[in-house]
Amino acid sequence: MDNTILKAKNITKTYPNGVKALDDISFEIKKGEFIVVIGPSGSGKSTLLRSLNKLIDLTSGSVTIDGEEILNKKGKNLRLLRRKMAMIFQHYNLVYRLSVMQNVLHGRLGYMTNINGVFGNYSEEDKLKAIELLNEIELGDHIYNRAGDLSGGQKQRVGIARAIMQDPQIILCDEPIASLDPSSSKIIMDIIFNMAKKRGITCIVNLHQIDVAIKYATRIIGLSKGKIVFNDVAENLDNKTIETIYNTSIDNLMINGALKTM
Amino acid sequence: MLKINKISIINQREKKLFTYFGIVVLVLFVGATYLTKFNPLEVLLNSNEVWKFIIKDFLPPTLTKPVGIFDAIFITICLAISSTFIAGIFAIITAMFGSEYISPFPKVSKIIRGVATFLRNIPPLVWAFILFSSLGIGTGVGFVALVISTFAFMTRAFIESIDEVSKDSTEGLLVVGATFSQRVFQGIIPSCMQDFISWFLYCIEVNIRASTIVGMVGGGGIGLVLFSYLKSFKYQTAAGIILIISATIIGVDLLTGFLRKKVMENE
Repeated sequence: MDNTILKAKNITKTYPNGVKALDDISFEIKKGEFIVVIGPSGSGKSTLLRSLNKLIDLTSGSVTIDGEEILNKKGKNLRLLRRKMAMIFQHYNLVYRLSVMQNVLHGRLGYMTNINGVFGNYSEEDKLKAIELLNEIELGDHIYNRAGDLSGGQKQRVGIARAIMQDPQIILCDEPIASLDPSSSKIIMDIIFNMAKKRGITCIVNLHQIDVAIKYATRIIGLSKGKIVFNDVAENLDNKTIETIYNTSIDNLMINGALKTM
Repeated sequence: MLKINKISIINQREKKLFTYFGIVVLVLFVGATYLTKFNPLEVLLNSNEVWKFIIKDFLPPTLTKPVGIFDAIFITICLAISSTFIAGIFAIITAMFGSEYISPFPKVSKIIRGVATFLRNIPPLVWAFILFSSLGIGTGVGFVALVISTFAFMTRAFIESIDEVSKDSTEGLLVVGATFSQRVFQGIIPSCMQDFISWFLYCIEVNIRASTIVGMVGGGGIGLVLFSYLKSFKYQTAAGIILIISATIIGVDLLTGFLRKKVMENE
């Protein structure tokens, strides 16, 4: 039985100013994987992630989610398909004036009728689920606080809860820990990893930190100048590949933790 | 002896640009003064005429029929508040389509923005003239003039608020699969409500003054009353009315200023 949850084929993105952010990229992702995408700024990481749920329109290529092509979808069909892919952002992308509870419940909007969503008519079942989730990630004391009043780490936890509420098959994480301190970073990565594992959700995460990538990833994809230069399990990531990805000697890179040298 | 140059603190090129700009402005000013034969010092030179008029004709201010005047003030205030309200409702709706991040028709948003920017530069007085010439004078027409000018201003202000405040949160709602209305009511409105209310109060303040002026050219209210007293040379009563108008405007300014502070404080 085909276990592929996401298939990207020959995707290319050329910006109007001529910059080729993604150059004929293809890859497959199987259900349950924890993929980490690494690469320098400008390598196309963010463009790649955002093109998977059509936040960015691709110049050419195809992206299939659970067998369904997403790039030609519009309006209602697009929204229905987007439900399957939750997203966590570097800057959290919450509605700061609303409560934590309201922000988490936003994850259900894709499943509600237009009117119910507009007036925030969430079912009691959904509300209970939200509270359970918030307790699980230790935000139970903050459910009625304004989202804007929380710390960075707490805001990201709200973002994760919102993503989980969507009952997604895939979670896309665009540099989820880039704005967080080392302690919050570990908490967030652990939460994402464990929640995904528990619920059988596939994850695709953009990261700057190679050591974090190696620690959590089942597979690492290395991007450089819009092309894939590495697509293998974390153990096989060696210094030479890293140098290719970042286009500089390993001495010029700030990497923590031990790496396998070849 | 060593000549020490003073160290510059801005880019040399910028400094040159500023100097040239200053010279051009000066030349334009002198040229304009000469060509229009308007001497800006004339006001100062002939100020004793102005003072004579003020002391002899305007003062002391009197009010012989206060009742009619308070009716007129009431009309003016109502004009200001109601026009701001109506304009505000239209502006919020239009702004949703005018902001390129949230608009379901991003291409149209540029047009809406452009039109709003163009329209908002037309003062309410000009709108009043246009409408009075075509539709005749009256409170209703004055009301429409105020609505149009306020609407243009508010649309532009709201669009800027929306763009500034809700770009991130809108993206968050986009990926959960929310519809346009859901994104608006669950994202934009909560995020921008404070700004909207603040702009709304600001426009009421502006419109009290605009309403007086529009009133003068035919919109009714206290502006028209003032105008008719001036035209019939009843300067002392006119002075009294001017004082009342000033008091009203100051009162509204203080009230809206206080409310705006309260709204912004409620973080």
